[in-house]
Amino acid sequence: MDEPELISRVRAGEAAAERALYDAHVDRVYRLAYRLAGDDELARDFTQETFIRAFERLDTFRGESRLSTWLHAIATTVALNGLRKVKRFRSRETVLEAADGVAGGARLAEPDLKARLRDAIDALPRKYRAVVVMHDVEGYTHEEIAAALGVEVGTSKAQLSRARAKLRAALSDFAGEWVS
Amino acid sequence: MNDDMNTDQFETKLREAARDYHRPPETPRQEMWAAIEAERRRRRATPHVVVLRPAWRWGIGMAAVLVLGIAIGRFVRPSGSHVPTTPAPVATGRSGDDIAYQVAAAQYLSRTETLLAGFRADARTGERLDPQFGAQARELLSSTRLLLDSPAGRNPRLKPLLEDLEVVLAQIVFLPASRDTTDVELINQGIDQRSVLTRLRTAMPAASGPAHAQGVI
Repeated sequence: MDEPELISRVRAGEAAAERALYDAHVDRVYRLAYRLAGDDELARDFTQETFIRAFERLDTFRGESRLSTWLHAIATTVALNGLRKVKRFRSRETVLEAADGVAGGARLAEPDLKARLRDAIDALPRKYRAVVVMHDVEGYTHEEIAAALGVEVGTSKAQLSRARAKLRAALSDFAGEWVS
Repeated sequence: MNDDMNTDQFETKLREAARDYHRPPETPRQEMWAAIEAERRRRRATPHVVVLRPAWRWGIGMAAVLVLGIAIGRFVRPSGSHVPTTPAPVATGRSGDDIAYQVAAAQYLSRTETLLAGFRADARTGERLDPQFGAQARELLSSTRLLLDSPAGRNPRLKPLLEDLEVVLAQIVFLPASRDTTDVELINQGIDQRSVLTRLRTAMPAASGPAHAQGVI
């Protein structure tokens, strides 16, 4: 079944078509939600809300982009808005983790790098983080990112470049080892 | 050029390390599908209701009273082309606009009096003040500005009271999060020195209705 046919069947209220649409896209939506949220419960909530909205609003999908692009636009909106609501909780959590890190002392082992990278990505401004996660982590193209975030392709590229510069600065003490 | 190479190498390493960033588990597709179906069924069965935060309800309520007041005023006041030939009864002495703004002002004064009385009572206990005071004061502050810009703000007795209330409400809104007793005491002193509560109560109409209204409005 091709995409236009699948969409028309979903619009007609065919339950099997709804499930087929879900099965075709759920993995990528959930992966993106999880990468952005870093939490299974939140990722499930964001994924579920994405599909609920998609089914509710499928009549407004005009077919000017691929369905996956439209779905990922909904997913990023749902996830970023949802994360804004839990930001206060998250920032408190980061402070607690940072306090634990001070007590630890030693550094530079690979697990430490991953933890530092995670903290550095978490600390990026919301949209920069979304671009890094989508491009460098999940392999989205700039065109896909631009469509999902509602920005120009050039903006996506510029935000990625600035985000990487911030990450480079945050992890500068690892740079010498990596390039040697 | 060496810098460029280093930057490229760094970014390659960065991308490799980033693949472990929030690495997702296997997609719980069956569980999520069941949750989606259940939620869609629930939404279809539940009428769509917009739930407002308590602070918004206050603001919207006050705004609605003002808009209703203006609407009543426009409706009650005769338009220019339909001015009655007989003079209005002297006894009433008030236009439709006046009555409308009085309704809005009365609502506002009543709520402000409740807030300030509650604020003073809580301050006297010496316990931590309810942050809800700040939220309510913020809503009333917006209404104060609306009233000052309305015909109610031209009333020579109501205007100074509204200006004093604006100051007091702003002090409550900007009360530091610590809610230091000195700050609270300064606000209470301001309320006392300007006799704000007494003037507020004097300005409020009696509960018996506009026909027997007392006070400023």
